[in-house]
Amino acid sequence: MKAGDMTEEQHFKQEVLRLAGPEVLTCIQCGTCSASCPTAHLMNPSIRKLVKLCLEGGKEEALHNETLWLCTSCLLCTVRCPRGIRPKAVVSALKDIAEREGERGKDASYEEFFLKQIKDYGRINELPLTAEFLLVYPEAAVQSMQMGLELLPRGKMAINVDRIKGQDEVRRIVQELRR
Amino acid sequence: MKLAYYPGCVSQSTGKEMDLSTRAVCAALGIELVDLPDWNCCGATHVSNEMVAAGLAARNMAQTDLPIMTPCSICYSNLRSAILRLEEPEFREKLNAVLDRKYSGAVIRHALDVILESLAKKDERIVLPLREMKVASYYGCLLTRPAGQYSPQFPTILEELIRRLEAEPVELRHKTACCGGPIFMPQEKAADDIAFAILSEAKEAGADAIVTVCPLCHLMLDAKQKTLEQKKGLKIGIPVLYVTQLVGIALGLGPEELGLMMNSVSPMGMVERAYERMAEQV
Repeated sequence: MKAGDMTEEQHFKQEVLRLAGPEVLTCIQCGTCSASCPTAHLMNPSIRKLVKLCLEGGKEEALHNETLWLCTSCLLCTVRCPRGIRPKAVVSALKDIAEREGERGKDASYEEFFLKQIKDYGRINELPLTAEFLLVYPEAAVQSMQMGLELLPRGKMAINVDRIKGQDEVRRIVQELRR
Repeated sequence: MKLAYYPGCVSQSTGKEMDLSTRAVCAALGIELVDLPDWNCCGATHVSNEMVAAGLAARNMAQTDLPIMTPCSICYSNLRSAILRLEEPEFREKLNAVLDRKYSGAVIRHALDVILESLAKKDERIVLPLREMKVASYYGCLLTRPAGQYSPQFPTILEELIRRLEAEPVELRHKTACCGGPIFMPQEKAADDIAFAILSEAKEAGADAIVTVCPLCHLMLDAKQKTLEQKKGLKIGIPVLYVTQLVGIALGLGPEELGLMMNSVSPMGMVERAYERMAEQV
């Protein structure tokens, strides 16, 4: 590692700690988080390794992997961690950093489109959200069609786009707090 | 009892029957609901920045002085998590500078908890006891995690409710396991496998129905059930009911009031059997 990279790596670690909490520093690498994770078998690096990477400043490896996007937010890691760390919050922090730094894979795009719905309407409208996602990830078309065929005849797809009155306030929340 | 009602975004789309049945059951039990004014999305599981998520939750919580009830476990978990986050004075101050109405604390309740509380043991409003019906209690993740009022891994409130309706609870090993829902769009295969594990366990256990407390769990187990059957080559055919639908059936409410026609796997056969059984016993 070059001396010049050090500051960026350290900055990265500080940013993770700011978002996920300073208790991340107390991780003992016991692996309870990985053992609790419903998608652990698909992850590489594991969630335990991800925490280690954050603490050691392994920014590139920590930010660019499939693991982040396999987290289902089930929070089992978080209620089980013997050190009171919130491993899911570490994943969320990494996703947020990756997205702010311009990550635009299919999973990050889905989150961006989701947030865009919130900024534009204050609520989620599944139809435009899905349409936008299909443009970047056409592979999801079959699944979306299947869902549409289930939901549409049962009247469970909103056609009208809801927009709330406090939309400016919502946009302000996103802009002011997402730093 | 008067509560502010936060239906969440899915109440307008994939979770319409959740919304309908919540309103119907609360009306039948004398629980007065006032729609939360101008509510916004809670961020679900897709807003990774926790400050933003807490901000979205706080705006909702600042719209009323009443306790807030939601039938959606995702909304419930997010609002409760935000309350913890907002205990940090510095963050609260920063957020209140952005909000129109200031946040000053809130009480968040899940519809399940409110309903159970208002149903007495041997409640005479239960006109259709669900005797001999085996109901799998599926909690999913977010009713009990991270900051819920129940055990995060071994809750029993759903079983308690099922017994109060005189049905027989079926406890799944997967009862607090994830449904895979939050990643089903970009990570279809992983989500499918997770959801199928729950369905096949319920099938093995001989459940007549699965009860859920979250619209995303419901989507994965009900709307996707047929697709999962085809992919995995195993017939499941188990109706998946929102807890409010199950309670509504026992209260004698009609299929339209409870949105029973909106479920992908029809619960009508199960409801008819319950009525037949009652007729036999009279």
